[in-house]
Amino acid sequence: MAVIGYDRLVRGRQRLRALSTAADELGGQMKFFVDTVGHTPTALRHYRKDVLRLIAEIGMGTGALAVIGGTVVIVASLTLFTGGTIAIQGYSSLGDIGIESLTGFLAAFINVRVAAPVVAGIGLSATIGAGSTAQLGAMRIAEEIDALDSMGIRPLPYLVSTRLIAGTLVIIPMYSAAVIASFYSCRFVTVTVFGQSGGLYDHYFRTFLQPGDLLWSFLQAILMGAAVMLVHTYYGFTASGGPAGVGRAVGRAVRTSLIVVVCVTLLISLAVYGPTGNFHLSG
Amino acid sequence: MAGALDAPPGAALRSQLRRSATTGRRRIAAGLDGAGHFYAMSLDTFRYTFSRPVQVREFIDQVWFIARVSTYPTVLVAIPFTVLVTFILNILLREIGAADLSGASAAFGTITQIGPMVTVLIVAGAGATAICADLGSRTIHDEIAALEVMGVDPVKRLVVPRVWASAFVAILLNGLVCTIGIVGGFVFSVLFQGVNPGAFTGNLTLLTGLSELVIAVVKAGLFGLLAGLVGCYRGITARGGPQGVGEAVNETVVYAFIGLFVVNVLVTAVGVKVTGG
Repeated sequence: MAVIGYDRLVRGRQRLRALSTAADELGGQMKFFVDTVGHTPTALRHYRKDVLRLIAEIGMGTGALAVIGGTVVIVASLTLFTGGTIAIQGYSSLGDIGIESLTGFLAAFINVRVAAPVVAGIGLSATIGAGSTAQLGAMRIAEEIDALDSMGIRPLPYLVSTRLIAGTLVIIPMYSAAVIASFYSCRFVTVTVFGQSGGLYDHYFRTFLQPGDLLWSFLQAILMGAAVMLVHTYYGFTASGGPAGVGRAVGRAVRTSLIVVVCVTLLISLAVYGPTGNFHLSG
Repeated sequence: MAGALDAPPGAALRSQLRRSATTGRRRIAAGLDGAGHFYAMSLDTFRYTFSRPVQVREFIDQVWFIARVSTYPTVLVAIPFTVLVTFILNILLREIGAADLSGASAAFGTITQIGPMVTVLIVAGAGATAICADLGSRTIHDEIAALEVMGVDPVKRLVVPRVWASAFVAILLNGLVCTIGIVGGFVFSVLFQGVNPGAFTGNLTLLTGLSELVIAVVKAGLFGLLAGLVGCYRGITARGGPQGVGEAVNETVVYAFIGLFVVNVLVTAVGVKVTGG
């Protein structure tokens, strides 16, 4: 009897300890994010040249990714294929109920509100985000971050805040390219492949493309860029456990930022469009 | 100094151009090399699939490993995604006065697009990265080379079970996402947007039939297969310490996403044609 009670006590204590570790990690993460955002003015004041260098590096990609056209091209090609899928599925589904002429409307509506922000955020996480995690993680494993610290350079503003600024700025041209790619691929599939008249498509597309929606989706993209950079730099900055640890950190960061991207899109959509959706078919 | 003056004008520019042309050619050659190696490894994987001994134990281990890293993210991505899509579709349907059809649209959207989309994100973002990180760290510790020295083919021993495990888990995840999508759509439409529950369930099968479901399962299996192949390939070819493993995982995500988005377009187009939709 006493033995069973002791056993239960030990297990309960282990569970409590796991809980407190998880709470610690959550708190550490929060502190990291607040510190990073708080250090952005320092980074802008002291490390302006590094921010510029990172913007160039992030926009073009490094290593093998630069060969296939850099980050902007990768993200644009992702939305290109998404736009194609929307057009194919939309044209055939709308055709089932005889309103395939509304494919242009679907392109203007779904692309701007869901597809382009989500896909651009995912592309950002896969390219820039995962790259930053790998870089920072390798620095952490090679004790370069500790070396910075002992030289009197604060690693947080120098390495993390600069990346946060660069990522948030780079997403603006990147998202523009992504949106344009998704629009054109929808039009290409509908008009050139399925043979709908171009004027018909353009009419419905232009009627239902609301500039306000587009601006809100830019806000979505920018916030998503900031959130993705924060998540990825956190996992890179706190990587541990040798070379394998860097790989694991990159994987964990991508998993987390997938969730973050979808949640940011959902919350902003609900906040901006409200329960009625701020949408009127009659124009 | 004199030499520089004697050189014909534009010589520096020309030599620079020549140099960048050479590096460009070398980069393209390296890219083609990589594509060829990937193709060869994929062919080997399919060839060795039926060779004995079948790695049942490794397969089961890998299924468990991939399922463990990807189940949580699947649930956490699928729920907000479902709410987002249901929200937008219901806005549209209510605008044309057909809110009762939200069951049909939820089922259709979930089975044809959300299920495969979320599966893509998870198998590429979670499954393939985990496979690549695992194999990559073995590669840079020369464990793969050691296997080869012992006469064990790493493709046969490591890649084949991982690739098929990835495909298997992807199919299971697709089922999970579809369930979450339909249940989540029901909860969100009925409890928050005031759709009639009877109409919702009654219309579930209006647009979605067996053929759509089969296409979704085929899609998910193909995604898992491709993501597994990419993850294994980049893991086995990882080079150069911690930074190398990090970059390998990074490239895995990028290549897997691009590949899977392309496959999604193609399979959607083929599926639409086959079902005559």
